[in-house]
Amino acid sequence: MELLLQALFNGILLGGYYAVMVLGFSIIWGVMGVINLAHGEFLMIGAYGAWVLFRVFGIDPFLSLAIIMPVMFGVGYVLQRVLINRVVERPHLISLLVTFGLSIALANLFNVIFTADPRTVPVSYNGSFNILGMTVPIVKTMILGLALLIMFALHVFLQRTRLGRSIRAAAQNKNAARIVGVEVGRVYAITFGIAIALTAAAGAMISPVAPIFPFMGPPFTLKAFTITALGGLGRIPGALLGGMVLGLVETLLATFVPGVGTNVGIAASFVLLVLVLILRPQGLLQGLRPMEVE
Amino acid sequence: MGFLRRVWRLISANGGIYSWLTLIAILALYPLLTPSGAALLTATQLFMLITVSSNWNLIGGMTGYVDFGHAVFFGIGAYLMGILVTVVPDYILFSPQLGFWQALPLAGLGAMVFALLIGVPTLRLKGPYFSIAMLGTFVAMREIIRLLKPFTGGGEGLDLPPVLNRTRDYYFMLIFMGVVVALMWWIRRSEFGHSLLAIREDEVGAEMRGIDTTRHKIIAFMIAAFFTGVAGAFWAFQNTYIDPDVVFIEQRTVEMVMSSMLGGLGTVWGPPLGAFILYMLQDLVWANFYNLHLFILGVLLIFIVLFVPEGIIGTLGDRSSTSLGRLLSRGFNRGERTMEERA
Repeated sequence: MELLLQALFNGILLGGYYAVMVLGFSIIWGVMGVINLAHGEFLMIGAYGAWVLFRVFGIDPFLSLAIIMPVMFGVGYVLQRVLINRVVERPHLISLLVTFGLSIALANLFNVIFTADPRTVPVSYNGSFNILGMTVPIVKTMILGLALLIMFALHVFLQRTRLGRSIRAAAQNKNAARIVGVEVGRVYAITFGIAIALTAAAGAMISPVAPIFPFMGPPFTLKAFTITALGGLGRIPGALLGGMVLGLVETLLATFVPGVGTNVGIAASFVLLVLVLILRPQGLLQGLRPMEVE
Repeated sequence: MGFLRRVWRLISANGGIYSWLTLIAILALYPLLTPSGAALLTATQLFMLITVSSNWNLIGGMTGYVDFGHAVFFGIGAYLMGILVTVVPDYILFSPQLGFWQALPLAGLGAMVFALLIGVPTLRLKGPYFSIAMLGTFVAMREIIRLLKPFTGGGEGLDLPPVLNRTRDYYFMLIFMGVVVALMWWIRRSEFGHSLLAIREDEVGAEMRGIDTTRHKIIAFMIAAFFTGVAGAFWAFQNTYIDPDVVFIEQRTVEMVMSSMLGGLGTVWGPPLGAFILYMLQDLVWANFYNLHLFILGVLLIFIVLFVPEGIIGTLGDRSSTSLGRLLSRGFNRGERTMEERA
């Protein structure tokens, strides 16, 4: 019983992280129709950013978000203008191939710069305390809190601000948005920037509790796709639901199936994905559709 | 005159396959020059790249379903070979030496069955799900192989009985490559191949015309998986050692995608030409910037996709691929999205 409660709690912590990790992937797909296969690589870049800032300047990984997010927003903005904009209106085949090439190039570039040795960010408060017989890991709880905060802020931004409304308009109907005066090109670039900043932030957040290495990306891309398949595109509640399902399944499997170790997450995520595609290809909520039907 | 023209048309139409068979015949003479084992191995590896790229092209190029994890079939073939010749008791196989020939088709069949299991849920859907599901299959399979320690040796891998014979390897791979590419040529011209092209150009339209698109896609996928599995099994035996990190490397898929894109997506002669150029190019890059070579490959892939999406054969004006070129370079307005909604 205690084991079950602990597993459920860990699953929720992991699920919250997955929910914030998937946002960037889900926004880019939902708004631009581009599936970003380099998602995990941007997460990896964020993690390395946190590692460099911690090693060189001693900046805490959670504080370093204030530096990493604006920088990665700029990177995303420029990348959309230079590269992604050329493939937005072309068939999926093209954007898949381009982002696949990007993911290979980025992972191997970082492999050359930082070598394949796994890095860690050893923060001083990385420990845990006990409440009611349950172990509460400090960093992971902070990650969950921050994840919820980010999701709330993004929700307010998309619903309440003018720019957020422009993004939703461009996602729903590009041509109509253009007619009513939305600069779709600029909105796409900003959206991509925001998505990349969120993804890199997710990478920086996980840096105290996960090893950082150049090829850490692909499992995250796979998990992002699974969560999107579970929860639907571009929806924050969907991301939360999908993330929680994956987080709980992963943790419960790792706790109760003997001998599977830590790699069970990827296998579990894959099996879940195939199950979703067989049973409910439209997803658990509204599923794999654009944000609104055009 | 009319007769002569018809003869000319026949020759020019079949010129590709005759040149191909001639090339195979010439290459078959190469071991008579008593080359070194290393030279034979290099040639064998090039043949293998051509074979797997042609198979990738069947599903990725002709059918238009880009497979980002095709190396998984290579890996499954390699592991089935490894398991069959090491773990399975002798009474199933004749002997370690002959067992190799027995295990090759079994490994291919295993890969084919796996393709069926993956293809049924993912190829039923239109659009990009297949591509990402395959990427996932690849990443997951590496971990699953690690978890299945009693059969696969986990992270420590498996040692296969070393039966080195470079000349035998050379001839096997040469014939295998010759047969596979000739088969692709035949498929491209058959009704089945035309149906695949129709699916690529306009899947809903193909469905309206009575093509069972799901069945066609799955069969193409299974054929591609079978030959890739056999190639993987052969590679495992030739390499005499397998573990998850040498078998399941992303580079294999990247090379298949690159060869097909470089030579001409969806053409018969594109992947062989592309694989040959890529092999030479990699040699050059390897010699000069060993560490950066995958980075360079990734950047090159982006450039090819953006600027020469039809590849070499397509750009040089092979009529058969121009419709694909139009499809790739035309900016049609989220045409795929509406298809998805219907799915």
